[in-house]
Amino acid sequence: MTTKIIELGPHQLALEEPMYFRVQLDGDRVADLDVLPGQVHRGMEHLVMRRNFYQNITLLERLCSLCSNSHPSTFCAAVEEVAGIAIPERAEYLRAVADEIKRIASHLFCCAVQANVIGETALFRRVMEVREIMQRAKEAIYGNRMDLAANVIGGVRYDLSAEGAAFLARQMEAMKQPLDELYLQYGNNPALLVRMAGVGVLPREAALEYAVVGPVARGCGIDYDVRKKSPYCAYDRLEFEVAVQEAGDVRARNLVRLAEARQSVSLIEQCLKGLPRGPVCADTLPEIPAGEAIAKSEAPRGELMYYLRTDGSDMPVRLKWRVPSYMNWDALKVMLKGEPVANIPLIVNSIDPCIACTDR
Amino acid sequence: MSDCIKLTNDDPGKNPLSLRERVAAGRVRALPRSEELVTADALTPALSRGERVPEGEVRDGILTGFITKVAAAMTCAAGEETVIEWRRDRKGVLTGWCWLPCGESLLPAARAVAELKGRLAMVTAYLPERGKEKGEREIAYHFDLDGATLTLTVILPLQWARVPSLTPIFRNCDWQERELMELYDVQVVGHPDPRRLFLDHSLPHAPFERLVPYSTFTNAATGKALWDKVLAGEREDA
Repeated sequence: MTTKIIELGPHQLALEEPMYFRVQLDGDRVADLDVLPGQVHRGMEHLVMRRNFYQNITLLERLCSLCSNSHPSTFCAAVEEVAGIAIPERAEYLRAVADEIKRIASHLFCCAVQANVIGETALFRRVMEVREIMQRAKEAIYGNRMDLAANVIGGVRYDLSAEGAAFLARQMEAMKQPLDELYLQYGNNPALLVRMAGVGVLPREAALEYAVVGPVARGCGIDYDVRKKSPYCAYDRLEFEVAVQEAGDVRARNLVRLAEARQSVSLIEQCLKGLPRGPVCADTLPEIPAGEAIAKSEAPRGELMYYLRTDGSDMPVRLKWRVPSYMNWDALKVMLKGEPVANIPLIVNSIDPCIACTDR
Repeated sequence: MSDCIKLTNDDPGKNPLSLRERVAAGRVRALPRSEELVTADALTPALSRGERVPEGEVRDGILTGFITKVAAAMTCAAGEETVIEWRRDRKGVLTGWCWLPCGESLLPAARAVAELKGRLAMVTAYLPERGKEKGEREIAYHFDLDGATLTLTVILPLQWARVPSLTPIFRNCDWQERELMELYDVQVVGHPDPRRLFLDHSLPHAPFERLVPYSTFTNAATGKALWDKVLAGEREDA
């Protein structure tokens, strides 16, 4: 068997952002992998220490497009924790609505890209078409298709009128049947099964060792969802089940995503139904004192964590965050081992990697 | 306001700052043997997937049990005086804060967290406020304990800071340590692969501790620095 090393870039990996892999091959099978990040390192953690809290909300929303709401909402939660700010109940629900809207769109994008990678272009178009319902909902409610600008320290900066809530409820109704149909497709379609079932397997023990999070972990039978384990926003008052699959392969990860997207529809409906009256933002805000806090949330790709340290000024002494993709990259070593070269792009996309988030 | 639960093993009622400073003052204890470490099979009773977090007295009982277990494990690992300050937010989510006086107590403490089935969530290196005056820096290791977050903060000297690598205990510490080594002037002893992770080799060591022009900092920066690079590349090609 011949051994050689090849380098793969974003084009070969079917990624829209730059990431490079150095892959060691044994014949046509992957033997080992070195991930080479840093191509979009923008020194964001350096920048946030030179901007005030309000400027950082705007900056963090531009860290990444697909989880753009998770960053400012988790950052605001950290600032609120340091200052002891209680956000109004209505704002808690509206934050959850924004997060779930982004989650559905993000999960569908990931499933669509994988369909495209394996040449199922009709399915790719279908998933993107369904996702378009969410994009239009975002456009109508927030005025933008990606960055929602929904969060502010002390609450949210948007409100749902009766008309807006009714519109969102109609969009959610329109999502149900297509999402159920996609779940069946990704679960049972023979053309997808042959490419996705038993491919890129991450055993549960390896998932624990590599400390993966999000749908990658839940696809290996790890029942961990920040919304349940460390509730925030309105999630302690909403009913949902953590989507878990046992197989640990590409198919399992997609089924977790599609089940979560369907649950997000229910979560949004619950929020719209139980939306309390009242203000959307705390009235007066205290000065941000010196202190430190941790804030966590379940971003579409998994646990997002923020650490904030303040000194009483309006700029952070340190703001550090760790995105879910950060650990998931390393687990690709296990998922890719022994797989043919042709499966690399699909398996890489099945962890729904976020490069802009990883590099910062 | 956060609901503060304090669990101290010696004098209660000390505020966190004085506690932190007391630890920094270097009252180091003898380290325990590994067989003395407390193990816990299940820290909190597992909730079924649809179940809600218990409330009221039931939850308080569970939390007190949890806090006692973690405190016992940390005291056993890092010494009698190790104190964890617990904060509980409005939703009942716990964050624990623990300060370690030197890099040496980090390894036993981390092993104790691993025994408690903790997961390393993040590592934050930083220069604290007035750190330069005091000649101190800190590294915070954040662990997930089934939803609660325990932060172990190591206080280190500004110059010649050294910490042991936790990668042999927590595999995912690999990238965390590679990143902190390139951004800060800290030596991680025993890291299996101490290459740079994100930064180009043209950048100076530890840029978070130096004034580095932003356009130099980012490889993808637009402006003169980038165009100089592009033009230099063209000349090489010709």
